Amino acid sequence: MSVNVLEAHVRTMQGLACIDLMGEISAQAEDVLNRVYEEAVSANPGTILLNFTGVEYINSTGIALILNLLVKAGRSHRKLYSYGLSDHYREIFRITRLSDFMRIFSDENAAMAAV
Amino acid sequence: MTDEWEELLCFEVPSQAGMERRVMERVAESARGLLSPEIIERLKTAVSEGALNAIEHGNHFREDLLVEVNVLVSSRVLRVTITDQGGDQELPKAPVPDIEAKLSGLETPRGWGLFLIRNMVDEVQMTGDGQRHTLLLDFYRER
Repeated sequence: MSVNVLEAHVRTMQGLACIDLMGEISAQAEDVLNRVYEEAVSANPGTILLNFTGVEYINSTGIALILNLLVKAGRSHRKLYSYGLSDHYREIFRITRLSDFMRIFSDENAAMAAV
Repeated sequence: MTDEWEELLCFEVPSQAGMERRVMERVAESARGLLSPEIIERLKTAVSEGALNAIEHGNHFREDLLVEVNVLVSSRVLRVTITDQGGDQELPKAPVPDIEAKLSGLETPRGWGLFLIRNMVDEVQMTGDGQRHTLLLDFYRER
């Protein structure tokens, strides 16, 4: 069975790196997430923005992987923000309390305005 | 009041990584029109996590062991059962994950599956008969 692997790309702006995520965030996404995070921090941004607009599925392992990104960001004193989550995954982030530690915005403009 | 069950779907999948998505999609398709779109999203998360648990922890990714999935509907409830060959393994208590402990490295970042399931469904039960281990997920049709 084919697995819809995660694709991710980094855009850098002033003081900010935006990671565009497309596909699914499950165990198979670990290497991609780690690689793209390292690429994002290479420009030494103060804030990293996760764009979930293209993400269609996040499972419990994906929650753990996102939590790992929060740990990495916290250790290097960076902010981790997100936008583009569906209502369902916003609810998941609220239930898991990820949203207590990562600001969630409706779109990129709202996130950029908060940086 | 009698409340009869109608079987909507019954199928098996091998215990391969990624099969939980196939289970999720087939179950969601069978539930379309019977539950609201919001509840379907919750069902998808609960079913994929239940199937993943069955594949990973019940059948230990052994492809020769099947995961059986049933979808039943009554006038009040849509019920999904997911059965693995987990035998007499102890049913996990699934404590509430402590995100502060996870962020500080005191707990593994994983361990969200059963927590998510419990928060997505109206009722959940786990049963075992010595050979098979079944997760039963109920979604109320009216709220």
